[in-house]
Amino acid sequence: MSILEVNHLKKVYTTRFGGSHVQALTDVSFSVEQGEFVAIMGESGSGKTTLLNILATLDRPTSGEVLLAGKNVLSIRERELAAFRRDNLGFVFQDFNLLDTFSLQDNIFLPLVLSGKKYPEMQERLAPIATRLEITPLLKKFPYEVSGGQKQRAAVARALITQPQLILADEPTGALDSRSADSLLRLFEEINQGGQTILMVTHSIKAASSAGRVLFIKDGEVFHQIYRGGRSQEELYQQISDTLTLIATGGAVASSVNYRHHEGGGRHE
Amino acid sequence: MNKFFYARLAAVNMRKNARVYVPYLLTCIFTVAAYYMISALSVNPGIEDMELGSGTLRVVLGLGVWVVSLFACIFIFYTNSFLMKRRKKEIGLYNVLGMGKGHLSRMIFYETVYIGVISLVVGTLLGVLLDKAAFLVLANLMEAEVPLGFYVSWGSIWNAILLFGILFFLIFLNSLRQIHLTNPIELLRGGQMGEKEPKTRWLLAIIGIGLLGWGYWLAVSITNPVQAVTLFFFAVILVIVGTYCLFTAGSIAILKVLRKNRRFYYKPNHFIAVSGMIYRMKQNAVGLANICVLSTMVLVMVSSTFSMYVGMEDMLEKTYSRDMEFLIRGDSQYLGEAAAEVVDDILQEEDAEAENILTYTYLNSSAQKIGSTYEIDPSKKNNGAAVAEYCTITFVTLEEYNRVMGTQKSLEEGEILLYTPEEELQGDTFSLGDTSWKIGETLTEFPDNTAAAVMMTTHIGVVVKDWETLLQIETMQRWPDADYEGYSDIECAYSFDLKNGDSQQEAAIYENLIYAFEPTSQLLAEKGGTLAMTRVYYNAQERSIYMSLIGGLLFVGIFLGTLFVMATILIIYYKQISEGYDDKERFTIMEKVGMDKREIRRTIRSQVLTVFFLPLIMAGIHTAFAFPMIGRILQLMALQNQGLYVLCTVVSFLVFAVLYGIIYTLTARTYYKIVS
Repeated sequence: MSILEVNHLKKVYTTRFGGSHVQALTDVSFSVEQGEFVAIMGESGSGKTTLLNILATLDRPTSGEVLLAGKNVLSIRERELAAFRRDNLGFVFQDFNLLDTFSLQDNIFLPLVLSGKKYPEMQERLAPIATRLEITPLLKKFPYEVSGGQKQRAAVARALITQPQLILADEPTGALDSRSADSLLRLFEEINQGGQTILMVTHSIKAASSAGRVLFIKDGEVFHQIYRGGRSQEELYQQISDTLTLIATGGAVASSVNYRHHEGGGRHE
Repeated sequence: MNKFFYARLAAVNMRKNARVYVPYLLTCIFTVAAYYMISALSVNPGIEDMELGSGTLRVVLGLGVWVVSLFACIFIFYTNSFLMKRRKKEIGLYNVLGMGKGHLSRMIFYETVYIGVISLVVGTLLGVLLDKAAFLVLANLMEAEVPLGFYVSWGSIWNAILLFGILFFLIFLNSLRQIHLTNPIELLRGGQMGEKEPKTRWLLAIIGIGLLGWGYWLAVSITNPVQAVTLFFFAVILVIVGTYCLFTAGSIAILKVLRKNRRFYYKPNHFIAVSGMIYRMKQNAVGLANICVLSTMVLVMVSSTFSMYVGMEDMLEKTYSRDMEFLIRGDSQYLGEAAAEVVDDILQEEDAEAENILTYTYLNSSAQKIGSTYEIDPSKKNNGAAVAEYCTITFVTLEEYNRVMGTQKSLEEGEILLYTPEEELQGDTFSLGDTSWKIGETLTEFPDNTAAAVMMTTHIGVVVKDWETLLQIETMQRWPDADYEGYSDIECAYSFDLKNGDSQQEAAIYENLIYAFEPTSQLLAEKGGTLAMTRVYYNAQERSIYMSLIGGLLFVGIFLGTLFVMATILIIYYKQISEGYDDKERFTIMEKVGMDKREIRRTIRSQVLTVFFLPLIMAGIHTAFAFPMIGRILQLMALQNQGLYVLCTVVSFLVFAVLYGIIYTLTARTYYKIVS
C-alpha cells in the first residue's frame, strides 16, 4: 500500500507585484510505499526544497494533490495543519533545527509536549529510541554542548518519537563530517529496516546510495528513478553517479526519453 | 583610492543601518540637548533676577548638571554597545572581504565623528530652543517674573563640546578595542554564538531577596521622620542592588525551580514559556533592572516633588503660622513686654496694624533621648549621636500656656503637661537627666512654634508649673562655655498678621525688625535683663525661598523624569529589536516541529509582555514600599497632607503606566515586523 502519493504537483512563485513567474515544480508525480526509503536528488534550483516544503505542508502547491495514508493533506484546514504535522510527519533538517533553549531531551519531547502527552509516557517512549540512537548519556546536555553528529541524532530522535507515518529529511548529512554522515546513514537504514518510511532530499551521492530508491528531479519534474534492488551500496553509488553525469552533460536529453517510461515502478536494468 | 572613500562608506553604513542608528543618533542629540539645557539654566542670569532664593535653586540645578552628565555617559555607552553588537556581522564581512583592522578603524572613526558632530550641532541648537521653554516652565513653577529675550550660554556649549567630545572619543576607543580583540569569524557570527544556559546563582538570588527585604523593611518600619531622612539613601541603595540581584539571579532561580517541577513544566504552555524566559532573562536581566530602577526613580521623584509643590501652601502654613514673627532671646522675665513694645513702635511708624497676634515666652532646648530620659545638659550629650536621636523640647510655663491657649489647666508640685505628637509616650514620668516629673496630662494642642518647626528634629512640648521651674531647666541646659552665652536663653516670639498690609509695607516693617536689636536691647536693659539676640521670620520671604527650592526640585524632577522616560523608551526599543532577531529563528523551528503560527505568536507575545511589564510591576512595588518612608520625610518638611501624596503617587504611576503601554505597543510593531 502506498503511504504517500503525489499527483501532478505544480508550484509557481509569483513576485510580489506579479511581475515575473518562476516555475519551481512543473509536474511532479510519484508514490512511496509503506516501509520504503526514498532519496530525491537534483541540482540546486531543481525544485527539491519546494517539493519537500509542500510535502511538509509548510507550503501549498499551485495545483496537484498530496495523499498521505490516503488522506489529502491539502484539504486540511490551516489551524489543524500544525497538529497534523506533529502527529504524522517527522523532520530531520540539514542544520538540525534544535532549539538552544532546550536540553536535548526537551528538544526531543517538544512535539509530544505540544500534543499534551504526560511525562511518564514521554519518558517511556524516549528510552528505547535514545538507546538505539546512543544518545542516552547526552540527554541532559544542551545543543551547543554536543557535536554536529550528536545533534543530528537528537533531531532524528525528535522525528521518531511521535511515531510518524513518514520521516522527511532535508539534506540530513549536509552539515556533518564524513564519519558522522556515515553513521547517520546507517542509522537511517536501520530505522527503515524497522519499518519506518523515510523520504530524504539530498545532494550527496553517498547519502542517496543508502536509500532503496532514488528519484531524480530536473527542472521541476521527476526525470528518472533508480531502484536499488539487490545491488550493493557501491554499485548503486556508481549508478547514481553515472546518471548524474548523464543529466549534467547534454546526453541526458536523449536518454530522458528512454528513462521516462520506467517511471512508476519499473525496475531499471 | 579616493581619499573620501572611508568617509563615504561610513555615511552609507549609517544609512543602511537606520533601524538601529536613528534611535542612537536621537539619543545622542537629546542627551546633548538635555545637558545643554540644564547646564545653561544653572548659569542663566535670569535666575539671578528671580529675587530671593536663587542660591538654593542654583545648587539644585547644579546637582542636576552632575546627574545629567553621569546619565549621559552611562546611557550613550549602553546604547553604543548595543549598536556594536548588532553590527559585528557587517564588520566581520568587511574584514573577510579584505579590509584590514586599520581600514575598519578609519571607517569607525568617521562614523563616530559624524555621530558626534551631528549630535553636538543639532543637540545644542535644540537645547538653545528648548532652554527658553524650560526657563519659562521653571519661572512659572517658581512664580517668578520672566525676563524677555533669548539667552545663549557659550560656557555651557563649550562644556557640552568638551564632555561629549571626550565621551565620543572613549566610545571610539571602545569600538576599536572590540574590533581588535576579535577575529573575523567571530565577528561574522556576531551575536549568535551558541548561547549558554545561565547558571543558577542561589547565593546572589538570596542576597537580592535579603537586600530588597531589608530595604523594604527599613522603609516600612521607620517611624521617626529624621531617621527616615538619614536612612533613605541607604534604603535606596539596598533596593537598587537588590533589584539587580533579583532580576539577574532571582528570576533565573525561580524559572529553574519551575523547570524542575515536571508536572508543571511539561505542559504545552509552560514548556516553551519557561525555557524561553530563562534565556530572555539571561540576556535582558540587566536591561530590565535598569528600566525598573529608572522607572522607580521617575515615579518617586515626580510624585514627591509634585506633592511637595502642591502641598506647599499647607506646608508654609504649618511652619510659619503668621505673616511675620519677631523673636528675641535674652536673660529676662520681661522679654514679652519688650518684644511687644518694639513691634508696636515699628508698626506705628509704618502706619500699620497687627492682628491675630500670638506672643508667648518659652525655652527651646535641644535634647538627646537616652533610654527613656531626655538629656539636655550639653556636657552630657553625646556629640556623635545620629540626628534621629535628637529632639527639640519647648518648655513653657503653665500661666503662659493657659493664657495663649485659653485653657484652665492646673498642675500639682512635681507635675508637668506633655505634648508629644510624634513619639509614643513611655511610662507616666518625664525625666530630664536626673530630674523627673510626673506627667499630669497629655496635651493634644500646643502653641505654634516657628523656631521648633524649622528644626528637622522631633518636637516635644512641656508645660511646667512656674517660672522658677523654667529657670531651673534653663540652667540645666546652659552651655558651660561662655562663647555660647545666649544661645540657650529663654525666648519670646511675637508673631502677627498685618491688617490690610501691602507687600511694600510688609517689606518696610521686615527691614525695620531686622535692625531692631539696638532699640530692643535698650528697652530690655531699662526693664532689667540683657538681650542675647533677635530674629525675624518673614513669611513672604520664606515662601519665596521655599518656592525656588521646591519649584526647582520639581523642575529638576520633571526634567530628569523626562530624560529617564526617554532612556526607558530607547532601552525597550533596542530590546525589542534584539529580541526580534533572536526569536526569528526560533519561530521558524517551532513552526516546522509542529506548532501553528497563532500558537507561536501567542506564546512569544506572552513572554515578551512578561519581560517588558515585569519592570513596571516591580517599579510599582518599589514605589509602594518607598511610600511610607517618603511620606515621613515629607512630613518632616511639614507636608502633613498624606492624602495628597497618595493621590500624586497614584496619578504618576497611572500616567507612567499608560506611557509605558504606548511605548511598548509602538516598539512591539518593529518587533513583529522583524519576526514575520
